Amino acid sequence: MPRTAHATRAAGRRPTRDTVFRALGDPTRRAILDRLRHRDRGVNELCEPFDMSQPAISQHLKVLVDAGLVVATQRGRERIYQLRPAPLRAAYDWLGHFEEFWTAGLDRLGAYLDAEPDAVPPGPGRKR
Amino acid sequence: MKRDLRLERVYPQAPERVWRALTDRRALASWLMETDFEPRLGHRFTFRAKPQPGWDGVTYCEVTELDPPRRLAYTWRGGSGEGQPLTLDTIVRFTLTPEGAGTRLVLEHLGFSGVKSIFVSVFMKAGWRKKLRTTLGAVIAGLKDVPTASAPPTS
Repeated sequence: MPRTAHATRAAGRRPTRDTVFRALGDPTRRAILDRLRHRDRGVNELCEPFDMSQPAISQHLKVLVDAGLVVATQRGRERIYQLRPAPLRAAYDWLGHFEEFWTAGLDRLGAYLDAEPDAVPPGPGRKR
Repeated sequence: MKRDLRLERVYPQAPERVWRALTDRRALASWLMETDFEPRLGHRFTFRAKPQPGWDGVTYCEVTELDPPRRLAYTWRGGSGEGQPLTLDTIVRFTLTPEGAGTRLVLEHLGFSGVKSIFVSVFMKAGWRKKLRTTLGAVIAGLKDVPTASAPPTS
């Protein structure tokens, strides 16, 4: 049976690092992801282990969908949720993000030091 | 897996001057960010950048090492706003050593493994002993782009 893809609304836009982290910051959502690791599941099935209403779980699923971690697919009358782990890469981009940030920062520090008037005269052995 | 960042620079200025640029508020505002930093062990302060969508622009810090003009370290924590879970809990450390008349500055941004722990909590639980789904395993191990079989075409 072919799947309709109209529900994969997160696919078209790029979730930010923040939405991914925010999605991962909640234990219920992490538990949902953990359950989706094994196979795709419908919302009713996802509700089972939680002492939560379906709307509450649906709200969590929406956060996960917005973060791009989960896609929802309509299969017949049921909405099936599927894990999409690729956005987890965003977390690792922190390091790249800060490498750029600090490289630029240290450049600016150098420029600042060069431009700053010498409050203390340089020592006699100072090299240029 | 521990993931740290380490950058090194040599500046022609003496360690005392580099130290001052690292610990003076006006200097910090000039080359880094607006801050209420004070060179005092245990001092809590923030760096403030322009807020962006999903980030309030605030980095929360606390001085953890202070040894002028040799070593300075502070925590570097970020969140998505008041009451939101912290998304980043790291340490920034500057080490200065004389190099001729100048200064070798080593910048370390440490503790990205803390970020990794999120993944550990998600994926390394008891149920995770079963074989990883290939896609997830690849993501965790190598973080390559791994389109799943049913992935919609990307534009």
